[in-house]
Amino acid sequence: MDAELRFHIEALAADLVRSGVSRQEALRRARLEFGAIERVKEEGREARGISFVDEMMQDLHYGQRVLSKSPGFAVVAVLTLALGIGATTAIFSVVNAVLMRPLAMEDPSRVVYLQEQWRDLFPGVSVGNFADLKRQSTSFAKLCASNNASFNLEARELPERVDGEIATADYFATFGVQPIAGRFFTVDEDKPGQARVVVISERLWRTRLRADPSVVGQPIRINGMPATVVGVMPKSFDPLLGNSDLWIPAAYTAEQLADHDDHYLNVVGRLKANVSLAQAQSELNVIAQRLQQQYPLDDQDRGFRLQPLATALLGDQRLGLRMMLAAVGFLLLIACANIANLQLTRSRSRQKEIAMRAALGASPRRIVRQLLAENLVLGLVGGVVGVLLAYWALSWIMAHGPAEMPRLDQSRIDASTLAFACAVALFSSFFFGLAPALRSASTRLNEVFKMGSSTSGGTRDRVRSLLVVLEVSLALILMVGAGLLVRSALLVSHVDPGFDTSNVVVGRVGLPDPGYHDPAVARQTFERMITVAAALPGVESAAVVSRAPLAGGGSSNGLLAEDQGLDLSNLVNSQLQIISPSYLSTARVPLKAGRDFTPQDRRDRTLVAIVNETLARTIWPGENPIGKRFACCEAGPKGRMDPVWHEVVGVVADVRAWGLDHQVQPEFYIPIAQMPPSAWDWIGRTMDLVVRTGGGVVPVHELQSVVASVAPAVPIYRLSTMQQKISSTLERSHFDTFLLAIFATTALLLSSVGIYGVLSNIVTQRTRDIGIRMALGASQAQIAWDVLGFGMRLASIGLVLGLVGALAATRLLSSLLYRVRPTDTITFTAVSVILLVVALMASYLPARRATRVDPMVALRYE
Amino acid sequence: MGKQLDLLQGTLDMLILKAVSLGPLHGYGILLRIQQISKDRLEIQQGSLYPALYRLEHLGWITSEWGESENKRKAKYYRLTAAGKRRLQAETQNWNSMADVIAGILGTKPEEV
Repeated sequence: MDAELRFHIEALAADLVRSGVSRQEALRRARLEFGAIERVKEEGREARGISFVDEMMQDLHYGQRVLSKSPGFAVVAVLTLALGIGATTAIFSVVNAVLMRPLAMEDPSRVVYLQEQWRDLFPGVSVGNFADLKRQSTSFAKLCASNNASFNLEARELPERVDGEIATADYFATFGVQPIAGRFFTVDEDKPGQARVVVISERLWRTRLRADPSVVGQPIRINGMPATVVGVMPKSFDPLLGNSDLWIPAAYTAEQLADHDDHYLNVVGRLKANVSLAQAQSELNVIAQRLQQQYPLDDQDRGFRLQPLATALLGDQRLGLRMMLAAVGFLLLIACANIANLQLTRSRSRQKEIAMRAALGASPRRIVRQLLAENLVLGLVGGVVGVLLAYWALSWIMAHGPAEMPRLDQSRIDASTLAFACAVALFSSFFFGLAPALRSASTRLNEVFKMGSSTSGGTRDRVRSLLVVLEVSLALILMVGAGLLVRSALLVSHVDPGFDTSNVVVGRVGLPDPGYHDPAVARQTFERMITVAAALPGVESAAVVSRAPLAGGGSSNGLLAEDQGLDLSNLVNSQLQIISPSYLSTARVPLKAGRDFTPQDRRDRTLVAIVNETLARTIWPGENPIGKRFACCEAGPKGRMDPVWHEVVGVVADVRAWGLDHQVQPEFYIPIAQMPPSAWDWIGRTMDLVVRTGGGVVPVHELQSVVASVAPAVPIYRLSTMQQKISSTLERSHFDTFLLAIFATTALLLSSVGIYGVLSNIVTQRTRDIGIRMALGASQAQIAWDVLGFGMRLASIGLVLGLVGALAATRLLSSLLYRVRPTDTITFTAVSVILLVVALMASYLPARRATRVDPMVALRYE
Repeated sequence: MGKQLDLLQGTLDMLILKAVSLGPLHGYGILLRIQQISKDRLEIQQGSLYPALYRLEHLGWITSEWGESENKRKAKYYRLTAAGKRRLQAETQNWNSMADVIAGILGTKPEEV
């Protein structure tokens, strides 16, 4: 194009020369006649329409040059943006790993989770109900059951407790995942009386069996019994997210298959291709009605609930993670608004440059594109730094994140996260670049050239003010959210757990069935452990309890009070704790009325129980529960409705067994010497050993050898202090609180920078006005108030908008809050005050600068 | 030389097509050719010539190739394509009928209405 145009001009000049003009004059005239050559080129390129990429490269290159000429601006903008992009990307990669990535199984959308429904509870399915469901339903291509269990594994080194599942034979087929070695167990192996087989996880194979390639067919010892390894599942296989390491066949006995009363199975089905969730649910409703009639004692009021497996497993994570995603989204918007503000400031000082370009023939569209390209350069650099930041943030999150969050360890910066970061960077550069660019492009040339260097027409910039208001309101919403969580965490930390948690060590001991099947043997073994542990130096007392507070697990039972009629609708669901007589005194659970258990409370005496205050209040409101009787836990010789009475001998304080921020459940205690024999199966022969020390070092090794000395090859696991258990139950909420607090602080900082930026720019622009006012006698205070007032006005408008937004947004938080209403006045007030104070501080510097304007200098500035 | 006329809006494309239909020309040559045919009565903005050329080329009505000019300089020559020929015909017809109509209207006398 260049050569062509040059040819044209020279040919024109040559003609002129021929007509008798001098060569130089001819060239001059030729150029004059031709017009602005650059403009022609520009229009020519547009007419050709093929050079978009060229132009884009040119624009990008130019943008990079412009930015490197103002490094201060570039660094601030890139860092602000990187903060926004980094935080968003890190949280997105967590959300992606935990919530969005499909479960590692074949066609996960057809896999459903089935629970029973009784009143407002969703317990597991009883073996009897599962067997009937499997026989009667037609909606499922596969239907399997499993229950979580842990096993004492003996292989080479110390005995170890591993988590696993007891599963029916079609468990693996339901998920459609193939083993990496060997096979699953067969239907025949899933029958009682067969030789024991086991399928193990890749992790167990690698860590405990040294990745032995010939592991299939080898024997290992599980719970003291030999079993043959028949298969190894791939690394990704953990369909119920329970960190399972081994699976053994359920092999339900005829007795188990007839049991409709114990509800503990995880039932998972794969829907047939042409069956929807709703159709399957309605079939289940029909079957439920049939079961209710067939087994009125066990299945009265019982229904089934069907959910997609992903919802059942990950539903709990949604709220918190979405909240985080929204929070980082706000942060990103604030960061963008800040950069847009910076750009607007710059665009004012660049007006001349842009007017010059327009004068040289750049079309408005071209100028907008150029400015957008400049922002794109910012966005891309910010994106790269942001991804680096996200790497770092993600590794921090994975190291400190709550252990209970499933699949968190799978979060990483991968292709989809990078694509996300890229999209965010592009979106943000467009968002923060468009307004300034459009404005610059609409600049009228002659006005710019006519303008002096320091007057600015005096109008306050509405767009910039609007952006600051937006920033402030978003920051306020974040701050309110964080404030509510902080306040909730503070309240939780003051909750009385109901017992003395200091100097208490807890560990779980599971006795294998072989050798400890006899209830008396099991009880005596635990009693011996208590005696030996209590004799350790530094130990004050020791006890066992079926499930220690905050240690996880528990079994619920329906109670029927004697004075309320033997009607199933009067059942009170409550938590059962089986304890040694020394437990309440060891844990220091305060006795409120009556007496503690004694070693004399044996099975040949009156069956006794101690209830917590909540249970007493629930069943006998306003009455003295001591001496009352209730039926529970077992049936008498005359069958299911033959009650076995327990007499209440004591009332103890409520213990926060499920976590400090959880509601207290009705709970009752029965002595280990009086427990029904079948209860040993309910608790899997597993008890928590509780030891109170005199304040000395935690005797971890001693406890291990105590257990080993009493029950060889039996490990003690989940051994930790009660304080540690409490903090691990609060891990999740503290993590949420901490992250949100960081985001809110950053948001506050960014928006105060926004306020500062707008005000100081206004002061700079109006230096002359201020000078004139001062020359005319305005006091420094008046000037300062003017600037401060403007800043506070922006902050207040943002505050009001933010409060409205927060009222709408925090309602979603209510399930994360403990004893704090989402509209908590104290939080809203405190947060507003903090925001106003910070805004005041941000306005103070520009205001002070305004008062230092020297009228003489300002006027001469022109 | 008569009075110079400003080019009617939108007619430059048509004139370019006509000019190159008489034989391949470089940009400057097109300019000269149009001025010559019009007996210097048309004033063409030189700057607007090239964008129009590129646009026509982009639309596929003319093609270009580098060649040698009368005074042995490298120059880009434009030629009409088949599509351009059709286009020129269509535009010519359109122009003529439009001109007839306009002339008819402008030539109307009061008694004819």
